[in-house]
Amino acid sequence: MSNPIAAAIVARKRLVGFIILVVFLALVPAWVKSPYYIDLVIVIMINAGLAMTFIMLLRTGLISLAVAAFWGVGAYASAMLSVHAHIPVWACLPLATIITAIAALIVGFVIIRSAGFTFVIMTTVIGMLFVVVVGNIGRMGGYNGVSNIRPPESINFGALGKVVFDSKVDFFYLGLILFVIIMLVINAFYSSWAGRAWNAIGLNPRLAQSMGVNVFRYRLMSFVVGCAICGLLGSFYAHYQTFIIPTAFNLFPKTIYIQALAVLGGVGFATFGPIVGAAALTFFNEAFSGYSNWTVIIVGALVLVVVVFLPNGLLSLGQVPSRINRWRQERAFRRGEAAGATEAEAAPADGGGEV
Amino acid sequence: MTESVVTPAAPSGPLLRVEDVSKHFGGLVAVDHLSFEVNTGEILGIIGPNGAGKSTILGVVSGFYPATGGKVFFQDRDITKLKTHEIVALGIGRQFQTSTLFMSLSVSDNVFYGFHLDYKSAVWKRLVRWPSARKEERRFRQRGEEILDRMGLGPVKSEITKNLPHGYQRILGICIALASEPTLLLLDEPMTGMNETEIETMLALVRGIRDSGITIAMIEHNMTAVMSLCDRIVVVDHGQKIAEGLPKEIQDNERVIEAYLGKDEMLLDD
Repeated sequence: MSNPIAAAIVARKRLVGFIILVVFLALVPAWVKSPYYIDLVIVIMINAGLAMTFIMLLRTGLISLAVAAFWGVGAYASAMLSVHAHIPVWACLPLATIITAIAALIVGFVIIRSAGFTFVIMTTVIGMLFVVVVGNIGRMGGYNGVSNIRPPESINFGALGKVVFDSKVDFFYLGLILFVIIMLVINAFYSSWAGRAWNAIGLNPRLAQSMGVNVFRYRLMSFVVGCAICGLLGSFYAHYQTFIIPTAFNLFPKTIYIQALAVLGGVGFATFGPIVGAAALTFFNEAFSGYSNWTVIIVGALVLVVVVFLPNGLLSLGQVPSRINRWRQERAFRRGEAAGATEAEAAPADGGGEV
Repeated sequence: MTESVVTPAAPSGPLLRVEDVSKHFGGLVAVDHLSFEVNTGEILGIIGPNGAGKSTILGVVSGFYPATGGKVFFQDRDITKLKTHEIVALGIGRQFQTSTLFMSLSVSDNVFYGFHLDYKSAVWKRLVRWPSARKEERRFRQRGEEILDRMGLGPVKSEITKNLPHGYQRILGICIALASEPTLLLLDEPMTGMNETEIETMLALVRGIRDSGITIAMIEHNMTAVMSLCDRIVVVDHGQKIAEGLPKEIQDNERVIEAYLGKDEMLLDD
């Protein structure tokens, strides 16, 4: 990313990766026939989307433990609009997103002023309170949850046919479309001035300030955008499951699970990291699902192993060859130096560490 | 207070007025009823022994610390209560004392980030990467490279910042401040930890910045540098101003020598 040409290459690589990913996902129903596995892929997309918002906040130096709670706000907003107000699902999706964004704006306005540890505690409280509050409101179904949430109304494409949302595959494609939109939106923010401001805040809040970045405003912005995405995913989840219970949106294990998969994929990889992380974690869970109570322990140990040996996440595996290369060059340089090469004296003055 | 107009570069009144500013940290009085002015077009040096409150003054001016008392005026506008980012927007750029840069980013990205306040295109255009917004970004890149070239960092613009030698990092700190196109630039010990050659370079660069029309107020420990660079000097001790005047006058000022060195050594020895 250092010079425009390298940046263009990176951008093109990412674009190609994105297209391959979308095409690959779009073809999944062609060779995966079992509804069970289609469901798994849908859940992977939801979890990956949630993890992307977690990373988005992390970039600005905010660790949010309220990811699942805002996912729940979106789910409940959509469920209430659909069940009680009989609003069409296609209107519920954007409305739930907006409602979650407004909720995030109000909450964020209060809690973002205190960054760091206080913010972690505040979001923890929100994450835990959500279940208790919703669980105690009878009109919202209490701890029994809300059932009979309608699936999206069928759409008639005329000659192309009709989508009725009676199968997992229909939901899969709706989920994929939302997922692609979310990725595009996140990418638009990251590659714009806003993403740079977020990055600046995350790297050094004081320097960001003295460059004119309004730290509070940009943190609030990332919080609202992130939570709005959680809300959209929550709304989709509610109409997909047609049944939601408050405990599904609890801090434990949902938010922790999201964080674990974000770390597993690599928090340095804003969009692809969560996808790899979510897929890997689901794969681990499936592969060791036959060991009852041991599953959690085995998967936990595996995640631990990955984090210890690949602290930058699974995706950093891709950087291993270039690292080995650099290590080799450095070794060669050291050997040359030991042999008495004199040009080494001039080299450090330029500070050219990167070969 | 007494000697006010000194700059040869035809100044026109004070750009920055610090009036009776105090800053207390709990029981500690870092700045104590301090007043001074920075005139347009000059290089003002703020010197004093360690812990005299010099950095705190810059902190108050740039909005990092709220003043306990007194007022700060920039272009006759009261900026005492404004926040850092608002003050930067008005035209006061600041370089930091320690090299607080974006170490993991490239040199050119560091400066590129500094254009934050200059975006003019509509928000939605920036998000969808509308052609006019892209053009705007390209222009910032270009301007960033111009700044780097002017400050002599052109050859290392693609390096990752943490790999740069200390002197270059200090210069980069100034480049970032320049990206926000300040009217007044605050430098916080730009020459600390530099060798002779680097100091020579820095002196030329700071003069160059002044000649491009930017007023400079700087804190510096290196006396040789201060004496040769500054048009006017304010001496601070225990948060109070003990002297103000031309470098020559300061050098000969009994009180300054006493406060600064404790005994009658030559100031130039640093």
